[in-house]
Amino acid sequence: MIRVRINDRELNANPGDLLLEIARREGIYIPSLCYLKNGSVPEKPCGLCVVKVAGEGIVRSCSYKVEREIEVSTEDPEVNAIRKKILEGLVSNHYGDCKAPCHTPCPGGLNIQGYIGFIAKGDFKASLALIKERLPLPASVGRVCPRFCEPVCRRALVDEAVAINNLKRFVADYCMENGELPLEVPPLNGKKVAIVGGGPAGLSAAYFLRLEGFEVTIFDREKEAGGLLRYGIPAFKLPKDVVKKEVEGILNLGVEFQGGKIWGRDFSLKDLKEAGYGAVLLAIGARKEKLYGFEGEGLAESALKFLLDFGRGEVDNKAYTKKRIGILGCSYTAIELARVLRRLDCEVEVIYPRSRTEVSVPLREIGYAEREGVKFTYVTAPLKLIKGGGFHLTLAKTTLSEKRELKILPETAFEREYDLVFRAWGELPSDEFKAFGDIEAKLELNPDGTIKINSQTMQTSEPWIFAAGDFVHGAKTVIQAVASGRRAANMIASYLESKPFERAAVTVKFDFSRGKRAEEFDSNFLDLFVPSERMHLKEREPVERVRDFEEVLIGFTEEEAFKEANRCLKCGCLGIHKCDFREILIKEDVGVAKSRKKMKYAIQKDHPLIEVDSNKCVACSKCVRSCPYSAIFFSVVNKGTPQEVITFRFTEACVNCGACVDVCPTGALTKKELLIPYSRNQSKPVKSVCTFCGVGCNLTVWVKNGTILEVTGRDLPPNRGYTCVKGRFGWEFYKSKDRLTQPLLRKSINDDFRAVSWEEALDYVAENLLKIRDKYGPEALGFLCSARTSNEENFLMQKLARTIFKTNNVDCPARV
Amino acid sequence: MGTGAACVHFEEILNAELLFLTGTNSTDAHPIVAQKISRALDRGCKLIVADPRRIAFADRANVYLPLRPGSNVPLLNGIAHVIVREGLYNKEFVENYVDNFEAYQHYILSEWDLGRVSRYTGIKPYLIEQAAIMYATSKRALILWGLGLSEHRSGSYGAMAAANLATLCGFWGKPGCGAMPLRGQNNVQGACDMGGLPYVLPGYQSYKDDGVRMRFKEVWKEDLPVVDGKTLPTMLRDALAGKFKALYAMGYDVAMSHGNLGEVWRALSNLEFLVVQDIFMPLSGKYAHVVLPSACVYEKSGTYTNGERRVQFFEKAVNPPGDAKPDWLIITELARKLGFSWNYTSSSEVALEIGKVWQGWGGINHSRLKERGIQWPCLDEDHPGTSILFTTGFPKGKVHLALAKHVPPLEEPNEAFTFTLVTVRNLEHYNIGSMTRRSSSLLNLYPEPLVDINPDDAERLGILEGAKVRVWNNRGEVFYRARLDKRVPKGLVFTDFHFVDALTNLLVSPGLDELMETPEYKVSVVNIEPV
Repeated sequence: MIRVRINDRELNANPGDLLLEIARREGIYIPSLCYLKNGSVPEKPCGLCVVKVAGEGIVRSCSYKVEREIEVSTEDPEVNAIRKKILEGLVSNHYGDCKAPCHTPCPGGLNIQGYIGFIAKGDFKASLALIKERLPLPASVGRVCPRFCEPVCRRALVDEAVAINNLKRFVADYCMENGELPLEVPPLNGKKVAIVGGGPAGLSAAYFLRLEGFEVTIFDREKEAGGLLRYGIPAFKLPKDVVKKEVEGILNLGVEFQGGKIWGRDFSLKDLKEAGYGAVLLAIGARKEKLYGFEGEGLAESALKFLLDFGRGEVDNKAYTKKRIGILGCSYTAIELARVLRRLDCEVEVIYPRSRTEVSVPLREIGYAEREGVKFTYVTAPLKLIKGGGFHLTLAKTTLSEKRELKILPETAFEREYDLVFRAWGELPSDEFKAFGDIEAKLELNPDGTIKINSQTMQTSEPWIFAAGDFVHGAKTVIQAVASGRRAANMIASYLESKPFERAAVTVKFDFSRGKRAEEFDSNFLDLFVPSERMHLKEREPVERVRDFEEVLIGFTEEEAFKEANRCLKCGCLGIHKCDFREILIKEDVGVAKSRKKMKYAIQKDHPLIEVDSNKCVACSKCVRSCPYSAIFFSVVNKGTPQEVITFRFTEACVNCGACVDVCPTGALTKKELLIPYSRNQSKPVKSVCTFCGVGCNLTVWVKNGTILEVTGRDLPPNRGYTCVKGRFGWEFYKSKDRLTQPLLRKSINDDFRAVSWEEALDYVAENLLKIRDKYGPEALGFLCSARTSNEENFLMQKLARTIFKTNNVDCPARV
Repeated sequence: MGTGAACVHFEEILNAELLFLTGTNSTDAHPIVAQKISRALDRGCKLIVADPRRIAFADRANVYLPLRPGSNVPLLNGIAHVIVREGLYNKEFVENYVDNFEAYQHYILSEWDLGRVSRYTGIKPYLIEQAAIMYATSKRALILWGLGLSEHRSGSYGAMAAANLATLCGFWGKPGCGAMPLRGQNNVQGACDMGGLPYVLPGYQSYKDDGVRMRFKEVWKEDLPVVDGKTLPTMLRDALAGKFKALYAMGYDVAMSHGNLGEVWRALSNLEFLVVQDIFMPLSGKYAHVVLPSACVYEKSGTYTNGERRVQFFEKAVNPPGDAKPDWLIITELARKLGFSWNYTSSSEVALEIGKVWQGWGGINHSRLKERGIQWPCLDEDHPGTSILFTTGFPKGKVHLALAKHVPPLEEPNEAFTFTLVTVRNLEHYNIGSMTRRSSSLLNLYPEPLVDINPDDAERLGILEGAKVRVWNNRGEVFYRARLDKRVPKGLVFTDFHFVDALTNLLVSPGLDELMETPEYKVSVVNIEPV
């Protein structure tokens, strides 16, 4: 035994032990990109594992054998400087996207490339499970999302952006029809949370809290949960049964919903506290109308109130049919109101003080309305509203000042007559709750009258009261409300379990990007892709659709979805889960701003299972050194310099075992079958054993949301991390459509099978086996064990034969 | 040595000074073993290969013995002949540990002179002498065999003849020594260990032994039957004869994997009741009355035992589809329907019961296996398991030198059928292919059935690379694409049985191993012609 001192820690080691191994054994961090346990040494080591040995200076710990007592520092400034320099060299030669561009703007933080990848593999249920990891209302959002992601989709540089949101809608609809992967709902943990408001934010929070084991009750003023989804957004855009099913899906997890309960009338926060709720989430939305401020504005009807009443079925349609309507403002509320009124055969004009390009809703929404016959009048502001028989509205054109402020041009004033005028300028959170009780009165407000929360923890000035959604940030989109609800759920969970509030590490600095703007993008990369037309949703004919409230847009078919999903360029790195390089950059705090902006090597796609992107290669040569078949030709010249040239090619000796992919510390080598960017710490490594030959290789099966993502070798005897092609790539059979899923039965082999319950099937088996035993004796029966089933199962099968049927007629496939 | 399992572990391949591969093409069938063999050869290990086909390892062999299919026993006895004749055997070991040497010596010397061996095997005597001397004079030699040795009428004798070589030279109980049968399927070892055989109870214990039966009764509370059980081939024969009426097949597609399928199908359709339990609809489903859907490896927990007796735990990763259930649960529920109060709630409870009836599993339980596997025998909770058998002696005191008899293949090429068909496995597929054909990566690599033929034969018959060919005999016809391969000797064709649309087993000979009734997959006569 030798005593080794690393950073003030006294350790014992055997003579000849590698310094790097000693440190790793003890959990002391020393970075390395090229070290392999098999003792192989690269021609040019990465050099990151340097440490300082007292009296000897800087050494590489991967090749330093301990022979005497030494003192080692792994964090010496000199050491750090060397590592930093090496890493900067590697960064300057790296070209790729750590994360897909679509990922960044999504408020929900959805793994977009991942769920599209699942669709491209035909695994729609897994796709939905990945979405629902962060978004429990996918069918709704899939219809109403403004799509922050699509404008940045790289595919647009080839032809047109991928129809991301329509794909989300497709899987949500598909699973509504065909069922979802089962969720694991934990038993209740005894802690109670009250949520005030059953809209998207409240429902999302409820969903995530219930999945963490909390007992959740939602209080809502309406009879049914859903908030604006159910009562605000018209059915032709978001059908009521879609919302109903989606909301039921959440409530059925075991979330209590108390409808018709109005905060301030039926209960106060004090009541909730006394009822034993450890935390309360306020998510009542933004229902206070914005006003424009012109003479007679109060005479106009409220668009929001109309939509809500209409949603509840409390509007007398006849009172509105065939009217001439003016709508002031061009918010979502305005356009949705306009489209509802078109269906009541009204003549509708939307009046907006700014230009068409300045509207806050997507232009496609305006397109739908226009095609339905809504008239839009832009750069026109209201001056005065007078009520007579109808409404007399004075309008004027507007212009922009040099400071881009809106200026009304009074000299252009003109008059319009309407049967009815609505105001729809958007909505704000209300502060009327202050009067609801003592605790409410204590809640602090921001200067603008919105509730004050800690933006990190989502807590109000009362630590046990949280707030989320439109109530906090004013009227925004559903996906933003969902994201806010999810964050609040995490914070409430931490709060109730007295855990520190989690703060997501900001890693943008370490995200390599092939280019953020189109003009800085290397078009050589785009040349790898063949143009393919974007799939569009079918839109029902306007003349037909304005006669009813049925959904206007018809979702993708399976084929369309599959085709569309395959348009994804897979920008995000599909090796990010195994990227040691990124981990080291984060640990050593080396940013990637100076990465290469041009593609240097063509992406090699000729291997049947493995994609090679040498633009991401760090020249560690681990692949070469771990290949048992010497099947990789690899060379690097001028390593670590801008003149670096890497040559990589699989030779004919390759048998597709995939050892090189698993060992590659970046996304230079990736499995073609893996289309889901994921992180290892958000997936479950499951110990498994290969189901094929008799060698019995140990495997790790990587599972996320009840779906297998990939299989890797496990470092245990007999295989010690290695596998053959079947072990690593032969696991997809488990989700084949051919799987037997129900017991089948028939009286005669000339009949067709019919699906039956287990009860009936096993009764039938028992009855017939006993009948035959009784008639012909036990020797007329036989039982076969399997070479694929477990020891325990084979044991039980022969026990069944021997103890119950009293026969030794047992055999197994030892002969095949 | 009584049980069909490797006496050492795969790592011992690296400790051997000489490897003798006979009837195993591990490059395709056991790739991880092949990796270890390769590594051993890289370090200077010597190699003898006996295989009719010039497999990849033949290129690296010191001696390559291209024997005729079905002549394993003559070849191995011929090697023994040289060892005994030249006195190269380990005299000390033979004296202390070996039984029946006199009779064996007489048998080998009198019956297996190299002239006769050469006539059977087609191998020149000097090559056999070279192999024998190289084997017997090495310090640590390991014999590996696969189904190329076993799937013959004299398959069991072949295994005995191979083990005899190790016995003669004292290659037992030491690192890098012994005999290693490479098991074809991932838990075929376990299925046998667990008593999935007609002649033994779990742990290879005999139900003829009163003491054994009593021990089982203490745990199972039931009397055990003593009437000899039937092997599957016997069951099928009896079914044809109307004496055998019902079969319950779990994870075993008899109608696709058995040899001489035509007869198997007739037997299955003659049953009054057939239950199949599987993850996909097996071909046997055609004859079944009840089909029970079961969970696959990723959907349940349990243990498998590999070819080196290593019991390994696998954990549930995902849920089974639809109503499918783990097999242990199905059997448990059936037992309850039959009026027995089985109440296992997990496979780990079953594992504990195995340890109660078989001492070899005494120390094996799931919680011990969470990290890594254990090789049986593992006698108790503190026992580390056994990586090498026979380090301290032999179960029956001495090793018996069996007189390995030669039974020639049932069929020989003749005027009507001029080719010998040998069935083999490919790297990309496994067994009947039900799982690998449904894994897109593997199917893309190897999408359709191929038959390998010598280029000269192909030229003579007008068969081009990739051409559709018909392979037929009296039992049936099957279509493949031809792959011209000079590693295949003239007169032989090689193919697999991975594909439903090329049921090679239809063509397989009705021959069975004399002792174990393994079908003679390796020698069937056929004709081949372009379509």
